[in-house]
Amino acid sequence: MTSHAETVNGELPHEPEKATLEGRNKILSFWLFLGGEAVLFGTLFATFLALRNQTNDGPTANELFQLPMTAAATLILLVSSLTSVFAIQAMHKHKVAALRVWLMVTVVLGLGFLGLEIYEFAEYVTAEKFGMTTSAFSSAFYTLVGFHGAHVAFGVLWISVLIGQLYKKGLTVVTAPKVYVSAMYWHFIDVVWVFIFTVVYLLGKVG
Amino acid sequence: MAHAHSVKRHKGLMDWLTTVDHKKIGILYLLAGGLFFGIGGIEALLIRLQLIKPMNDLVSAQTFNELITMHGTTMIFLGVMPVIFALMNAVIPLQIGARDVAFPFLNSLGFWTFLFGGILLNLSWVMGGAPDAGWTSYTPLSTNTYSTTHGVDFYTIGLQIAGLGTLIGGINFLATIITMRAPGMSFMRMPMFTWTAFITSAMILFAFPAITVGLVLLTFDRILGANFFEVANGGSPVLWQHIFWIFGHPEVYILILPAFGVISEVIPTFARKRLFGYSSMVFATILIAFLGFMVWAHHMFTTGLGPVANALFSISTMLIAVPTGIKIFNWLFTMWGGQVRFTAANLFAIGFIPTFVMGGVTGVMLASAPADYQFHDTYFVVAHFHYVIVGGLVFGLFAGLHYWWPKMFGRVLNETIGKWEFWLFAIGFHLTFFVQHFLGLMGMQRRIFTYLPNQGFDTLNLVSTVGAFLMGVGVLLFLFNTILTATKPKGVANDPWEDGRTLEWTIASPPAEYNFKQIPLVRGIDAYWKEKMAGNKEMTPAEPLGPIHMPSPTILPFVMSVGIFIAGLGMMFSKEHFSNSFMSLIFNNWIVVIIGLLITFGSMLLRSLFDDHGWHIEVEELEEEGVKA
Amino acid sequence: MSVDQHADHDVIKHRHRSEGPQKHIIVFIFSIILTVIAFATVAAGGVNATFTVILLLIMAILQVFMQLGYWMHLKDKGHLMPILFMIFGFFVAGTAVIMALYWVWW
Repeated sequence: MTSHAETVNGELPHEPEKATLEGRNKILSFWLFLGGEAVLFGTLFATFLALRNQTNDGPTANELFQLPMTAAATLILLVSSLTSVFAIQAMHKHKVAALRVWLMVTVVLGLGFLGLEIYEFAEYVTAEKFGMTTSAFSSAFYTLVGFHGAHVAFGVLWISVLIGQLYKKGLTVVTAPKVYVSAMYWHFIDVVWVFIFTVVYLLGKVG
Repeated sequence: MAHAHSVKRHKGLMDWLTTVDHKKIGILYLLAGGLFFGIGGIEALLIRLQLIKPMNDLVSAQTFNELITMHGTTMIFLGVMPVIFALMNAVIPLQIGARDVAFPFLNSLGFWTFLFGGILLNLSWVMGGAPDAGWTSYTPLSTNTYSTTHGVDFYTIGLQIAGLGTLIGGINFLATIITMRAPGMSFMRMPMFTWTAFITSAMILFAFPAITVGLVLLTFDRILGANFFEVANGGSPVLWQHIFWIFGHPEVYILILPAFGVISEVIPTFARKRLFGYSSMVFATILIAFLGFMVWAHHMFTTGLGPVANALFSISTMLIAVPTGIKIFNWLFTMWGGQVRFTAANLFAIGFIPTFVMGGVTGVMLASAPADYQFHDTYFVVAHFHYVIVGGLVFGLFAGLHYWWPKMFGRVLNETIGKWEFWLFAIGFHLTFFVQHFLGLMGMQRRIFTYLPNQGFDTLNLVSTVGAFLMGVGVLLFLFNTILTATKPKGVANDPWEDGRTLEWTIASPPAEYNFKQIPLVRGIDAYWKEKMAGNKEMTPAEPLGPIHMPSPTILPFVMSVGIFIAGLGMMFSKEHFSNSFMSLIFNNWIVVIIGLLITFGSMLLRSLFDDHGWHIEVEELEEEGVKA
Repeated sequence: MSVDQHADHDVIKHRHRSEGPQKHIIVFIFSIILTVIAFATVAAGGVNATFTVILLLIMAILQVFMQLGYWMHLKDKGHLMPILFMIFGFFVAGTAVIMALYWVWW
């Protein structure tokens, strides 16, 4: 009966996320899902690369992008990835309070990233007249970066719900896999961002 | 130790709406797949009726376009995919010696999402016109400029939702097969059907995200005014073709591999011999899947990719003939020297081999890029893909349904009617599609709604239509057979074919809710056959008898799918001009979309907040049932 | 499911390691350095374009490998299936990118 939550009360194992078959299945399947996500973002990147020079007399990448803003967003997301590593380490040491704090820091950083992105998009639309319908390049840009932004937004909501559950239920063999999987998701968002700042922003500047 | 939680047992319809039992979900998939298969079949018959004679005016050109689009889309995404999932659900956990799939909740969610996506797509017939740009929905034909009804919106959003369900199902089966195998069942001891289900699920995982992106881009073009495929603003129609076929070609292998798996189960059972070349079968399956991702542009030879790309894709396509040929020879060698019994299931399986070979041979012909310039968009292509999808996959599905019907429903299908089904369907099939090779070579284009007389097309088209109706009779006979069988009493043996080789034949037909009272110990390939040869009547258990933990039934997957369905409808009509002010208020302000998403995400939240503790079947209960059986 | 019925321990390896944060901070510092190199090369300008593209891609791939390996634990034991599936995911994504670069035209 190792897999049933209530039978593992008392001593929590070192890696509570892998204590039950359900937990291990969840982590494995999330990896499989991330494999699919790699194809999803790969196709979006492909679309962007195919259309990156089709600016239709609208602004070009070189005219639009400002490196300081991208650098700030990158730093925020990179730090948030590190804080979610700390969260998992706290979880392995069964320090629930520390775990919650690190998750909260991650959420706040995620919100910061989102705020920056919304500001950036608003700036493009209003000041640069660069909207979804401007050109094939604009459509591809908003779709790729927007998909990533939507992933960040979903992650922020998800981790927030988990923080609530950690208050209510504490760290158990049921909540631990959820936290672990959300951390995987968050790292993956950062991995995608590495490609976005390289391919979209930096290579856009290079031309 | 474990203590029983009180569980609410639902009855009747609520039981089916809330079930998380893979065997019941398998039956649901079969029902839904059968329904859509019927709709797609009627569309096919209407197409053939329109083409029965030159200059026919049974349906208009517009209706004909809608019919071919919906026939292709329905058959591929909503007809055969769910029947494949029906067999996978009914059989995989039993074959690997598991009590359920890895994620019973997701299994149910996958089904309902698929069903509501399919319903949404088919609603187009009564809500202002079905999609009419072909099942491939090539741009710019499918963009706002040339497709002014909501048809293509139903296509993009319906397929998006159905595809989500398929993706969920694929991940679930991957996890199930990786982690839930019985002790002793290593990867190289898995039955071939499990292997092909595993590889197919992996292909679903990597192919469906591509079409998801493609459909999102097309939706954005049509609803948000984006420019991905609008040439005037810098978009590229060729991009759509690439994205579609990066998904589309793996998709046809997603369809055919499970049929290979079924054939690899049916032929050894009815030849009383183990599958010839098991490891080469496994290797060939993996190779086909791998190559399947590198051949997509052979659908686009005539778009002008240039000689280098055409040569590359030509060669990689021809390479696929090698592992497929390995499989064909393995099946032949399995039958060689075996005690072959020609049951209905085996007839379909044996009929599969020459039919599929013919489809494969025309495939190699089409793979030759210069020749493809002649074949492209003619009935030769139509003949080819019906030979592989109907002559291959549908034959395989019928073989699988006849073979596993007793395990799913506890009753054997009538063998005599089954043989009539096979001969009617097979003869009708070849009548319909064999002549289409020649129609194509004579220059008849696909997707035209009529043709002029005296081009040599008349007789062959008539023959083709007659064949289509014979196939229809064959399918109706199958339906009749299932209804007739349902009136007979239940109670077939565990192993009704008497030569069952794999674990599903060691337990009752249909199996108890928990499948295996004790998880069996697997000692080799064809685990049950191995025990039979050792003189054992049943499997050696790998665990002592103990209480069995079961997941609770839940309505949440159904509700979540309803939410996605509502959001999809809202998305589709967000730019519509309504005369009714209330309708324009809720649709044009995205209120319907928000409501739908709230329902879905709200249900997700409920699922996350309230843990499912499940319930237990106690040892006493298990022993009681053991006495009864 | 009451019983662990996994046939081989693909996903599960109970390893009692008490790792500190040092390793992850090193990965973080490396990531920062790689990112700074990438941004600095572009900001400085005047560098050969082809060289810049190759450099940027190498920086990105290195960083992604480190994060996948250490932060997402792919380098740990028992991750055979995740590694296989991630590799194939990146492979399919790569074919899509090659398609976009070489076989889309106007």
